[in-house]
Amino acid sequence: MAEKEWNPAFEVGRDAGVFRENEDILLRVENLCQYFKIGPGREFKAVDGVSFDIKKGEVFGLVGESGCGKTTTGRSIIRLYDITSGSVYFKGQRICAGLRGYKQELAKAKKAGDAEAVDKWKKEIEKAKYDHKNCNREYAKKQADAIKAKYAPKIEAATGEEKDRLQKEFTEELRLAKTDRIMNKMQMIFQDPIASLDPRMTVREIIAEGLIIRGVTDKKKIDEAVYHVLDLVGLVPEHAGRYPHEFSGGQRQRIGIARAIILNPELIIADEPISALDVSIQAQVINLLNDLRKELGLTIMFIAHDLSVVKYFSDRIGVMYYGHLVEMTTSDELFAHPLHPYTKSLLSAIPLPDPLTEKARQRIVYNPLSAHDYTVQKPTLREIVPGHFIQCNDAEEAQYRKELGL
Amino acid sequence: MAEKILQVKDLIVNFRTDSGIVRAVRDVSFDLHKGETLCIVGESGSGKSVTSKAIMQILANNALVDGGEIIYDGKDLLKIPEEDMVKLRGDKIAMIFQDPLSSLNPIVKVGKQLTEAMLLKSGSNSKNARRNFNGKLGLLVECRNAIATADSQRAYNEEQCHTFDNFCIMSTKLEGAYNEKHRVVEELKAEIEEKLFLIDKNQNVKIPAFLRLIEKQFPQTIHPDLIEENAETAALLARVSAGVGSARKTKKLDASARAAVDEIHALLEAALQKEKPNYFTLGYYMLKNPNDTAKIDAMELHELNAMTREYLDKNFMLAFIRESAKAIQYSHDRSIAAKKKALSETDALLRYLETEKLEKKATLDYLKGKIALVEDAIDRMEIEKDGAQYTFGSGITHAVRVYFRALKQNPKEQARFEKETAKWNALDAKGKTPDWKVVPAAIIDEEQAKENIRLVIRNLQASLRRDIEADGQFDAEAKTVALIDWLKEQASAVVYHVSKKMAKARAIKLLKEVGLPDPELRYNQYPFEFSGGMRQRIVIAIALAADPDILICDEPTTALDVTIQSQILELINRIKKERNLSVIFITHDLGVVANMADRIAVMYAGKIVECGTANDIFYDPRHPYTWALLSSMPDLDTKEKLEAIPGTPPNMIYPPKGDAFAPRNKYAMEIDFEQQPPMFSVSDTHYAATWLLHPDAPKTEPPKIVTERIARMKKKAQNAAAKEVENHG
Repeated sequence: MAEKEWNPAFEVGRDAGVFRENEDILLRVENLCQYFKIGPGREFKAVDGVSFDIKKGEVFGLVGESGCGKTTTGRSIIRLYDITSGSVYFKGQRICAGLRGYKQELAKAKKAGDAEAVDKWKKEIEKAKYDHKNCNREYAKKQADAIKAKYAPKIEAATGEEKDRLQKEFTEELRLAKTDRIMNKMQMIFQDPIASLDPRMTVREIIAEGLIIRGVTDKKKIDEAVYHVLDLVGLVPEHAGRYPHEFSGGQRQRIGIARAIILNPELIIADEPISALDVSIQAQVINLLNDLRKELGLTIMFIAHDLSVVKYFSDRIGVMYYGHLVEMTTSDELFAHPLHPYTKSLLSAIPLPDPLTEKARQRIVYNPLSAHDYTVQKPTLREIVPGHFIQCNDAEEAQYRKELGL
Repeated sequence: MAEKILQVKDLIVNFRTDSGIVRAVRDVSFDLHKGETLCIVGESGSGKSVTSKAIMQILANNALVDGGEIIYDGKDLLKIPEEDMVKLRGDKIAMIFQDPLSSLNPIVKVGKQLTEAMLLKSGSNSKNARRNFNGKLGLLVECRNAIATADSQRAYNEEQCHTFDNFCIMSTKLEGAYNEKHRVVEELKAEIEEKLFLIDKNQNVKIPAFLRLIEKQFPQTIHPDLIEENAETAALLARVSAGVGSARKTKKLDASARAAVDEIHALLEAALQKEKPNYFTLGYYMLKNPNDTAKIDAMELHELNAMTREYLDKNFMLAFIRESAKAIQYSHDRSIAAKKKALSETDALLRYLETEKLEKKATLDYLKGKIALVEDAIDRMEIEKDGAQYTFGSGITHAVRVYFRALKQNPKEQARFEKETAKWNALDAKGKTPDWKVVPAAIIDEEQAKENIRLVIRNLQASLRRDIEADGQFDAEAKTVALIDWLKEQASAVVYHVSKKMAKARAIKLLKEVGLPDPELRYNQYPFEFSGGMRQRIVIAIALAADPDILICDEPTTALDVTIQSQILELINRIKKERNLSVIFITHDLGVVANMADRIAVMYAGKIVECGTANDIFYDPRHPYTWALLSSMPDLDTKEKLEAIPGTPPNMIYPPKGDAFAPRNKYAMEIDFEQQPPMFSVSDTHYAATWLLHPDAPKTEPPKIVTERIARMKKKAQNAAAKEVENHG
C-alpha cells in the first residue's frame, strides 16, 4: 500500500527522481507548472501545480473551458514547452523537469543557513538538469543494453552462417536502438487537421517523416509501414501519393492519426481531435481511435471540451479550471457524483438531444469567489473516496464527504 | 399560427467554379413565422449557409441564383435592386457569423463599431429624405400640369404645391427645434446616468465639471412640449449650483446636490416619455397664423392635434388630395397604356433575338429603343419600385453582351474544353474520382446564354402582366393618401439626427441588454480585450443595433466551449422573446438545437430532407439521414459503438440522380438510386423526403441506438411529470 499511496498534491521536497518503473502507470505528472511571461516581471500561470497519472491502456480525458490550460498541459508533457516547475515521468523515466521549485527551496535554505539542505537542493538541480537534457540518451542506453543482452547468448550459441546473419541483425537493431528516443513513444494529434499537415508534402512524405528522422533508410520498409498505418486508419494505399488538400476534413484527421501511430507510440495526446469536424465525421474519428486503442494497446490522453464525447470515450476524467485540476475520477463516478461546484456547472451546460428535458434545464452558474472561502486555508488536491480526487480545504472536504453520505 | 414573415420558395443556387457548376441549393422552400426559431441542421456543404446568404443577398461573385423567390414584406428579395436591399440588409434582417473576431474590426474600439451603423444611417437617411421629398413633389406638379386645360388651372396647381412645400418646411423647422431639445434631453440623461454610475463605482470623476455641465445644459432643455420652465426647475438649478461650491472643496457630491441631480434625471426621463405633437398639421396652422404662439402654448396636446388637423383638412388638404388624385390616376392610366404597348413589343423582341444571324451593333441599337419603351412604362408616381422594370435595361444589355461573347468563342479552347470534359466523364463512368485539373478559361454555353436573355424578358413580362391585371383594383384616392403620408415621413426624416452622444447612450443600453457587465467601462475597449463569449455578445449587440425583424445566426456557438455556448444560446432565446424576433439558427450539431428550436429543417446535399417541430424531429424522426445524425452523436448514457455515417457527402458538381443520401444509407432501396423521393407528409407539421414513407415501402425501424434513446427520454419525461404531480398533490 505504501507504494501505491501517492498523494498527487505534491510538495516540492519529496524525493523526486527515485520513482521506480511501475508496470501500471505509464505517465505521471507531478506538480506541473507552466508560466508564461507577459511583460516585465509579470507572469501568466497557464498551468499551476497539476498532478495526475495515467495508467497503461486507459483513456484519460481532460476537460475544461477554453483558456483553462488543458492544451498547455498536453503540450508541456510532450515537451513543446520547457516547463517552469515540476516533473513528468514517462515509462519510469523523468522526461521533463522544471527548476523553479528547486531554486526557491535552495534560496530558502541559503537564507536559513542550512548547509546540508543547500547541498541537497544543489544536487537536485543538477539531477533535474541532467534528466531534462539526457532523457533520450538514457533511454537509448537502456534499449541498447536490452538488445545486447538479448543477442549476446544467441550469437554465442550459433555457428557458421546462422552466426553471420544474427550478427548482421544485431548490428542493425543496435544502430536503431542507439538512436531511439523516449519521446518517440509519445505522439500528438492536433486539433486543426488543415493547419497541422504541410500542404506541400504528399501523404506518404508526411507519414514517413517520423520514420526517416528515426533513421530508417530502407525505402521498401518505409512504404510497407506507411501502407500498413494507412490501412489501420481506414485509408487506401492509393491515397499515399496525394496532397492533404485533396482530402475531406475527416480524412485529413485520419492522416494526422496515421502520422502519430507510425512510430508505435505508447501514449497519444489527442488535443481536441474532433472539435473542428462535423458531427457525422466526429463519430467516424472516435470509432477509429477506439479501434486503434484496442488493436495497438494505446494509452490516450484525450483533451476536449465536449463533455458527452469525453464521457463516451474516457475511462477517467480530470476537470481543469484556470490552471488547476479541480476534480479527477472515473467518468461514471464524475457524472454520477460531481462534487466540485465547477464540475456541477460544467455538467449542467451540456446540451442534450431531448427538447423536453432541455427546455427545463437549469444552468448552474459557477462563481469561484462566492463558491469557496479560501481565506482561512488554501485548497489542495485530496482523495475523498479511493480514486476520486478533488481540490478542497478541510472545511470543504467535510462538506463533500457529507454530500457523499460518508 | 403567427403571420409568415419570410417565405423561401423553390430556391436554387448554383456556383460557377473552374471545375464545373456546383449545385449548392436545390429547391429549398420554407416559411418563417413571426417570433419563432427555425433551426437548419446539416453537414458542411449541405447548403445551409448558402441559403442564409441568399436571404441576405451576400452570396459570392460566382453564385448564380437560378430560380425561386424569397419574399419578405411583400417583396421578392432576389428581384429588388441593390439600392433597396441595402435598406433591408442589417436593418431589417441581421446576421451573426460563426467567428466573432471575423466580424469585428480589431483596431477599432467596440463602442465605435456599435454606434457606426446608427450614425451612418442617420446621416444618409436625412440626405435621402430631402432628395426623395423634392423629387416626388416636383413630379406631382408635373403630372397635375399635364392634365390641366387652362393656364389658371396651372397657376392654381403651382400655388397649391407651393403651399404644401412651404408648410412642410415650416413643420420641419418646428420639428427640428423640438428634435434639438429632445436630443439635449437624451444626451443629458445619458451623461447623468454614466457619471452617477462611475461615482458609485468610485471611479475618478471631476464632480464640479459634471455639475457645471448640468447647470449649463439643463436650461437648454426647456421646451413647451418637453420640460416646462417654472419655480421648481429654478430651485433644482440653484441646488446644483450650490453643489458646485462644496464639491470644489470636498471633491465629493453632497447629498442635496445628489438629490437634485436625481430629480433632474427623473424630470428628463418623464420628458422622454411624453408624446410628440403632430408637427405636420401644426406647421400649416403656424404658416397661416404666425402670431398665435401664445394660444398654442396654452393648449393641451391632444386638443392641439385635433384642432390643427381639422384646420388643415378644411382649408387645404381635402382639396389638395382631390386634385392630386386626378394626377395620380392620370399617371397610372398612362403607365398602364405604355405597359400594354411594352408587353406587345416584348414578344417582338423575343422573336428578334430568336433569328439566326444577329449582329452586335444592330442588336444593341434595336435594344435601346425597346429599353426606352419599357422605362417609359414606369409609373413614376409610385412609391414602391418594381425591380423587374427598373433593372430591365442593364440586365438585358449585360445578358446580350455575354451571348455575343459566347458566339465569338475561340474554337481551340472549345475543343480543349470538350476533350477535358470527355476525359472527366470517362473516368467518372469507371467509378474513379478524377483528379482535379485546370479546366480551360471560362467557356460560355451558348444555349445557357440565350436562356438567360429569355429569363430577363420573361421576368419583365410577368411583372407587366401582373400590373396590367391589377389595373381594376387601382384606388387613386388611397394612393394619394399613401403618397402624402410618405412625403410627411420624408419631411420629418430630414430633421431627425442621431448625435454621437445619443448613439453612445443607445449602445450602452444595448450592451446591457446582451449581458455585458459594466458596459460604461467596456465601451472604450478593443475586441481583443474580450473573451470569445463576450465578443459574440458584442456581435449580437451590433446586429440588434438597427432593431431587426429577423436574426440569422450562422453557427454562432461552434467556436465556443460548452459553458459559453449555453450562455449564448440562453441570450439569443431571451432576446428573441423580449423583442419578438424571428430567428433562423444554423448549426451542424443537433444537440444544441433541442433547447432553441420551435421547428427544425434537416438539410442534405442542397435539399431539405426532413422538416418538423422539435418534438417531431427528436421523438419521431423519419428520414434515415436524421437517424444517422442522431445515432452518430453520443449522449451521457451511450455505451455501445457509435454508428458513424460512412463515406462523405456527394460531389455537388455531379449531383446524384436519385436520393442524394442513398450511397451512405444502409436502408436505401433500389428506387432511392433511381428517383428522387417527394416530400411525404407524416403529420400537419412534419414532412420527410424518403421513399420509406411510401405506402408500398417495407416497414423499417430506426436504428437501435435512436429508438433506445427515445424510449429513455420518454421515460425520463414521464418520471418528471409523475414527480410534478406528486409534488403538487
